[in-house]
Amino acid sequence: MLTVVLQQGINGIVFGSLYVLVALGLTLIYGVLVQINFAHADVVTIGAFAAYFFTFAFGGNYLISIGIALMVGAALGWLVNAAIFAPLRERGSELLPLIATIGVSILLQNAMLLWFGPIPYAFDSPYSNKVIRLWGGTFITLQNLIIVVVSTLTIALLYAFMKFTYMGKALRAVAQDRETAGLMGVNPNQLIMLTFVIASALAGMGGAMLGPILVLTPFAGTTVIVKAFAIVIIGGFGNVEGTIIAGLAVGLIESYTTQFINPGLTDIVVFTLLLLMLALRPTGLIAEKREENV
Amino acid sequence: MRQHSAILCIGVVASIALFAAARDAQAQDKVIKIGGLFAMSGPGSYFGVQDKQGIELAIEQLNKTGVNGYRFEVQYEDSACSPLPATQAAKRLLEQYKPEVVLGEECSDATLAIMPLMEQAKVPLLNAGSSSIKVTDPGNPWTFRIMPNEVMQGVDIATNAYKRLNARTAVLLYENTNAGIGNAKVFGDTFKSLGGQILADIGFGRDVNDFTAIATRIAGLGKVDVIPTYTLEGQGLRITQALAQASVTKGGGGQSIQLGTIWLPFGFEQKAGKAAVGYVRIVQFDPTDKRDVVQNFIRSFKAKYNQEPTHINAHAFDQILVVADVIRRGGKDSQSIRDIMATTKDFSGVTGSVEFDKTNQNTKMDTIHYMETSPDLSWKALGWN
Repeated sequence: MLTVVLQQGINGIVFGSLYVLVALGLTLIYGVLVQINFAHADVVTIGAFAAYFFTFAFGGNYLISIGIALMVGAALGWLVNAAIFAPLRERGSELLPLIATIGVSILLQNAMLLWFGPIPYAFDSPYSNKVIRLWGGTFITLQNLIIVVVSTLTIALLYAFMKFTYMGKALRAVAQDRETAGLMGVNPNQLIMLTFVIASALAGMGGAMLGPILVLTPFAGTTVIVKAFAIVIIGGFGNVEGTIIAGLAVGLIESYTTQFINPGLTDIVVFTLLLLMLALRPTGLIAEKREENV
Repeated sequence: MRQHSAILCIGVVASIALFAAARDAQAQDKVIKIGGLFAMSGPGSYFGVQDKQGIELAIEQLNKTGVNGYRFEVQYEDSACSPLPATQAAKRLLEQYKPEVVLGEECSDATLAIMPLMEQAKVPLLNAGSSSIKVTDPGNPWTFRIMPNEVMQGVDIATNAYKRLNARTAVLLYENTNAGIGNAKVFGDTFKSLGGQILADIGFGRDVNDFTAIATRIAGLGKVDVIPTYTLEGQGLRITQALAQASVTKGGGGQSIQLGTIWLPFGFEQKAGKAAVGYVRIVQFDPTDKRDVVQNFIRSFKAKYNQEPTHINAHAFDQILVVADVIRRGGKDSQSIRDIMATTKDFSGVTGSVEFDKTNQNTKMDTIHYMETSPDLSWKALGWN
């Protein structure tokens, strides 16, 4: 039984790491813009497809494909913000960009459906079948180890960027008070663009690592994004530390629910937790004022 | 005079040609409108793409000569393998296109949702891919099914697992849908009645991505002989790979044999890779079948699409052949198509034969073909039916 408990812990941490990567993008955008980005899921999917085609159509290395997906995600974030969200924000409406994210999501899904078709792709990382045996009969595939290592490094880098660099501090300043930050010489529009680029890059990278796990179709990202929204709320909207803790917690809860209760009930357990958080602690796991987030 | 005769002859020939052309045109004006309700989006959309290929091929062949003076025309609506979009698509189809007969859906939940609409509109629905018993039991005069239902399939698979594979323990894996739950229950009940033991009964939603946790749970159960699995292709792939990674199934060096359903298309083995080795599953179409109808279908499919046909292509092709057979026997509108379809006997199609019972369920089992994935990822027909 101990082996199974440990193994489910490993499974939970692997998937939790991926949840964190996806959810961090959502929380960054919310923290800076107070905007929910419904198109985030589709950036995840596009990242997965970018990695797939780089690896299989062009014979590229899977590890490099993670970087490619990151760049594709970043480019897409830049494009979507420059072409759609930024002009809408300039009109001063908070509702228009929100609705536009739904529109962009539908547009991207249908474009992918047209280009890639609806039949699931078999995205097998060369590392999926390499199993590393650990203590007491537990194991981790090399692919999953890559997921944990890359996610941990990325999260650490992002955290350091936000806390210790000028740009990171400027981003937090924009999140606290956009107008005052502007008066201090910070260009809020550039930093909003930077937020979109970082968030989308994280989503693209998450997609590349989710690709070999997800059922890769044009709708793949939508299955993850619902959980990511739950994680962002549980962690505290816009709170990076809370999102990391909540992401890992949700991964573990899912694994242990599968083992000890029923895999059909994982969503019920996660969303019950979400409702409890909303009822008892609406500020999320790490209660801070929104201004202190990001 | 000779000149006049020549002109007269040319005139007569031209008149005959014009008359013949007009008669052909009149014959071609008579159209049987077929509605296609298939998933074109969402996780079941691989069904729709392949159904469409089979239907288009059949219609192209039949429209070259027409059937009983009729040609066929089809309009598709995206029913998304799900009840609500299926209902909306069916309403659009019935109100705007007004078909004489409708084909679809593949997913049982969607089929069950559109059946009352078809009955209300008195338009026959010909189904080829939904397995839930509720589709034809207790029976609906306007719904026909050419594939064996979940009871026919489940009893057969469980019996073969127990008697031919000597399986004594099983874990049920299924998506939480009418078809998933129903198929798993029939397998479980039959297997237990034969003396087998169900070690775990694991249902999950269609949004589950990570099957490593489920595979870990199964690995912790001890000796599991068979794992009947009822999912769509995408989740099926991930389950098969996760079970192999956890060394549960033969594909991962374990002992368990995964048993699959009619839901998975050909090509699944290549996508799943070595993890699929030893997988035993049923399909509706055996390409090694020597019958002319099968070999002609394979040839023409390859010529049109430059790919091997799957059993989903095949059963969609058969749906049109069944409709054509009814038109050949005098069907011309929804009511007559329904009445004549109900009397179908000894129809021989690509997937097998069709004979409807009083609930409009095909009673023939030769549409089920068992196959096993070989180490080189090809498959061999087991010839159990």
